[in-house]
Amino acid sequence: MMNDMRLTERVVDATKIKISAKDVQVYYGASHAIKDVNIEILDKTVTAFIGPSGCGKSTFLRCLNRMNDTIPICRVEGKILLDSEDIYDRKVDPVQLRARVGMVFQKPNPFPKSIYDNVSYGPKIHGLTRNKAELDAVVESSLRKAALWNEVKDRLDAPGTGLSGGQQQRLCIARAVATSPEVLLMDEPCSALDPIATAQVEELIDELRTNFSVVIVTHSMQQAARVSQKTAFFHLGNLVEYGDTAQIFTKPSDPRTESYITGRIG
Amino acid sequence: MENQHILSAFDRDLEAVQAMVVKMGGLVEAQIVDAATALETRDEELAEAVRKRDKAVDKLEEQINAEAAQLIALRAPTASDLRIALSVIKISGNLERVGDYSKNIAKRTKVLLQMQQINGSTSALRRMALAVEGMLKDAIDSYIQRDEKLAADVRSRDIEIDQMYNALFREFLTYMLEDPRNITACMHLHFIAKNIERMGDLATSIAEQVIYLVTGEIPDDERPKSEGVTLANHPEI
Repeated sequence: MMNDMRLTERVVDATKIKISAKDVQVYYGASHAIKDVNIEILDKTVTAFIGPSGCGKSTFLRCLNRMNDTIPICRVEGKILLDSEDIYDRKVDPVQLRARVGMVFQKPNPFPKSIYDNVSYGPKIHGLTRNKAELDAVVESSLRKAALWNEVKDRLDAPGTGLSGGQQQRLCIARAVATSPEVLLMDEPCSALDPIATAQVEELIDELRTNFSVVIVTHSMQQAARVSQKTAFFHLGNLVEYGDTAQIFTKPSDPRTESYITGRIG
Repeated sequence: MENQHILSAFDRDLEAVQAMVVKMGGLVEAQIVDAATALETRDEELAEAVRKRDKAVDKLEEQINAEAAQLIALRAPTASDLRIALSVIKISGNLERVGDYSKNIAKRTKVLLQMQQINGSTSALRRMALAVEGMLKDAIDSYIQRDEKLAADVRSRDIEIDQMYNALFREFLTYMLEDPRNITACMHLHFIAKNIERMGDLATSIAEQVIYLVTGEIPDDERPKSEGVTLANHPEI
C-alpha cells in the first residue's frame, strides 16, 4: 500500500524540525489567550491550524514571526525556536526574522504601487540583490512561484491593486516568497477568494512545500484536509490535538477534535 | 456519537441511510429463515416467495449506495461520520450477498423437490441457517447499539458455523459413497451448506465493520477458526 504514489505523497520527514514551541503562553492584558502550547513544526511540510473563532490559532501563528510585538498589551512567554534559535532573544531583529518567516494575510493587501514594486520591495530593503538584473530575476521567479507570472508579465508597471482578488492574493504570496523565507505563515489566505482562485492558491501551497515550511490558519476544514500533511486543533487557547492530517480527519483521538471536525456542538 | 450536528439536516441524512440498513438487515434475516424453512418443509410456494423477494433486497442496496454517495458528496463527512458512510456501503453490500445466497437456496430447493429426500440433512441445514440468522441479527443489533462487545461475540461464533459445515460435508460425502443415486441431491445440499457457511462469513464481516465504526480500527485476523476441510481429513477422496 505504501507504494501508492498518492499515499506516499502525504508522508513527511518527521526528523527535520523547523520551529519548536515550548510552553508558550500568550496574554492580552489579563486574558490568557494561549495556554501551554508545545508543538514541533516540520520543515518542508504544510501544517494547518484549525479551530473555532477565538481559539487562539491566529494568535499563535502571529507569535511565530513576532507579529504580536506590535500589540502593546500582548505578552508572550515560553520559548519559540527557529532552527534551535530563540526568536524572542534580545539579539534577534524582528525585521530580519520576518524576512525568514514570511506572512500572507486574510485579505490581499498589495502596496499601492506597481506589481513590480510590490515584489521587489522586500529584496530591496533587505539588500538581497546587487543590481537591477538580479532584482528583475527575483521578481520574475517569485511571480512564477506564485503562479502569476504569465498573467502579469506584460503589465508589471500596472498597479497591484488593479488585479482581481485572487491575483492580488497571489501577488502577496509572490511578495512573501521574494525574500526567500524559510517559513511561510498564511492566515486564512483564501477566505476572500472564489473557489477557482482558492484552488490555484492551494496548488501553490503544495508547490511551496518543496522549498519552505508552510503554516496555514484556515476556517475551512476541507481546505486543511486538502493542503496539509499535519494538522493542529486549537480550542479555548489550548492545543488539543496535533497529528497527521489523515489521522485527524479519519480517527481523531480527542473527543473535542471529533466534535469540531464533524460539525457537532463540542 | 450522541452529540448532534449543528446542521440538523446532516443528522437526518445519517439517520435515514442507517434506518435503511436496519430495514435491509431485517429483510435479509427473514430471507434466511424462510429459505431454510422452505427447504426443510419442502414448501415450493415459500421457496418461490424467497426468490421473488430478493429484488427488494437488491433495490435497498442500490438506494443505500446512492444515499451514501450523496452524503459523501454533499456533506463531506469526517471521522465517525465518514466511518458511518463507509460502513453502510460495506454492510449493505454484505447483506446483498446474504440475500443472494438465500435466493440460491430457494432455487436449489425447487430442484430438490423433484428428488428423493436425504435423511434428516435438511433439518441440520435449517439449524445451521438459524445459527447464521442469529449471528446476523446480533451483528445488526450491535450496529444499532454501537456495541463493540456484541460484534466481537458475533465474530467468535463463526467457528461454530464452520464446524457445522465440515460435519455436513462429511455426511454428504458418506451418502454419496453409499449410493451414487444420491449424488445430484447431495451436490445441491452441499452447495446449500456452503452458501450458509458463506453467510456466516458475511455476518462476521458486518460485525467487523461495526468494530471499525466504533473504534476506527479494523480488527486483526486473530479469531478462532476451524481447520477447514482438508484432504488429510478425507484420505478416501
